[in-house]
Amino acid sequence: MDTGYWALQFLNALQFSMLLFLLSIGLTVIFGLLHFVNLAHGALYMLGAYIGVSAAASFGSYWAAFFLAPIGVTIIGAILYFTLIERLRHAGPMNQVLVTFGLIFVFLDLVRMTWGDIALGLEAPAALAGSSEFAGISYPTYRFFIIAVGAVVMAALWVGLTRTQIGAMIRAGVENGNMAAALGINVNRLFFLVFCVGCALAGLAGVIAAPVFSATTGMGISILIPTLIVVVIGGLGSLEGAIAGSLIVGFIETIGAVFLPEVAAISSYVLLAAVLILRPQGLIPARG
Amino acid sequence: MFKQTRLRSVVLAATLAGLIAYCVMGGFYAREIVVEIAILAILAISLDVVAGFGGMVSLCHGAIMGIAAYAYGILTVKFGLPPLPSAVAAVAGAAVFGTVVGWITGRTSGIFFIMATLAFGQMAYTLIFKSQWLGGDDGMSGLPRFDLSWLGIKMGSSLTYGLFAIALTAAVYIAAAWVLRSAFGRTLGGIHANETRMKALGVNTILHRARAMGFSALLAGIAGIVAAQHTQFISPELLFWTISGEVLIVVILGGLGTLIGPVIGAVAFISLKHQVSGITDHWHIVIGLLLIVIVVAGGRGLYGQSEHWLALRTDKADDKSEDRGHA
Repeated sequence: MDTGYWALQFLNALQFSMLLFLLSIGLTVIFGLLHFVNLAHGALYMLGAYIGVSAAASFGSYWAAFFLAPIGVTIIGAILYFTLIERLRHAGPMNQVLVTFGLIFVFLDLVRMTWGDIALGLEAPAALAGSSEFAGISYPTYRFFIIAVGAVVMAALWVGLTRTQIGAMIRAGVENGNMAAALGINVNRLFFLVFCVGCALAGLAGVIAAPVFSATTGMGISILIPTLIVVVIGGLGSLEGAIAGSLIVGFIETIGAVFLPEVAAISSYVLLAAVLILRPQGLIPARG
Repeated sequence: MFKQTRLRSVVLAATLAGLIAYCVMGGFYAREIVVEIAILAILAISLDVVAGFGGMVSLCHGAIMGIAAYAYGILTVKFGLPPLPSAVAAVAGAAVFGTVVGWITGRTSGIFFIMATLAFGQMAYTLIFKSQWLGGDDGMSGLPRFDLSWLGIKMGSSLTYGLFAIALTAAVYIAAAWVLRSAFGRTLGGIHANETRMKALGVNTILHRARAMGFSALLAGIAGIVAAQHTQFISPELLFWTISGEVLIVVILGGLGTLIGPVIGAVAFISLKHQVSGITDHWHIVIGLLLIVIVVAGGRGLYGQSEHWLALRTDKADDKSEDRGHA
């Protein structure tokens, strides 16, 4: 196998890592800040893809989908927040798992009713069609775009969380919610804001994934488990953890599937179990 | 703590009698439904033992059931061993798997326990899914039923098999009730209520959790044997994590921590599935909404809520202390 082949696998892994990052960062901060287990996060990703397909069809442009899908998913998320999430915040992990598992079923059937069972494609914009050269190999330009979007979001969140006041408030909330509230931070408003950003990023992940993987009803469930693995091994509520976790899981699942298919399939579960037992706080825990 | 009240005994007897009547009087289709209910009821009882009485919400019970089913398939189809010893060995294998998972995950709790059991269940699923020897995605067929012809019983008949499944459900319920009423069951309840205090009393909480998972896995293994012999075909789908999620739904639907609730939940779940599927193929949205309503209404489930209302009527003094509903 030549270097070009490995460069291709490297780019595939990086692109999958970026999708995982967009999903897991929202989930991990919601987890860390609200102590809320949202299994429906994968369903929001699916909704992002489907809303994107419809938006592109009505406005005739990929860019309409790119901007409208995150907004649409955020609105759905906000409705969920006020109807269910808020009242289940102190209901314990089992009730949260159950209700959000129920939401997976509800969204799955709503999508099937609205868009049908057939996989729907979304055309990448003309400017991003075709291939580009990288390290001597030709790679689809659109996939470079996914990597770039992931990197931009990563950088923006890093600046937002470490260099702004609101970021400091979120970090304070993750570390000790009661203390942050006692210091005069409106924790509830912060929760809502973080939840909305998480939903928007899930919607964004869905719409940028659609041109590559198509919008399918199974996409939400199949991405959920790798995302949860990223969140747990990275450390709940930790940005650095989500970055590291996404790269680890993305590379294990992509490169491993080529290199050692039998081992790779279970290695992320083994990693998850090992982290939970030996280092339950995660590889890079959130701390002040 | 578990109490086998008179109400619970009456409801259990009535449910089993209803299933037997439906099985005897109904046709082939009714008997298929009865077996489906029995498999789900056994699995839900097994999950209630750990989740309802030990606070261990496992997301690997589908996988445990599947491990027993596959172990049975390997022993009978691949090695040609007789069904009965194979079934005993397969159930024992499931119990060992459960004990090991319980011991490893024994120090985690809450969402970490849920995620850890999910990880082990998915490992088992992936290994079986990827195994060419076990048929991979296509599964395995030709699993034999028990041969009880020396007793004059024909297991091939749908009526006999339906009654066999109901009998096993009753046996599993009695075994679970017996264990929960033992000193071990009380200790498990104590660990659930206050782990620190039980540790201070000198109880090895991890060992108890592992044993509870082992016993629960034994029961789940029985469900696996009934499932494997029912269709005489098994596929990796049995082990996928959403199956474990569905079993958890059944437990909540009936009433967590009541033991009889999961049986009621299984009857309600399967009946609803077949009723709604007859009208529309969007039955998941119905069960999803029902689940959300039940959890938001206080999470007591069908049986738990009824028992709660009856308790309120007979004893008004309990009104304030018992009421933890959000609605």
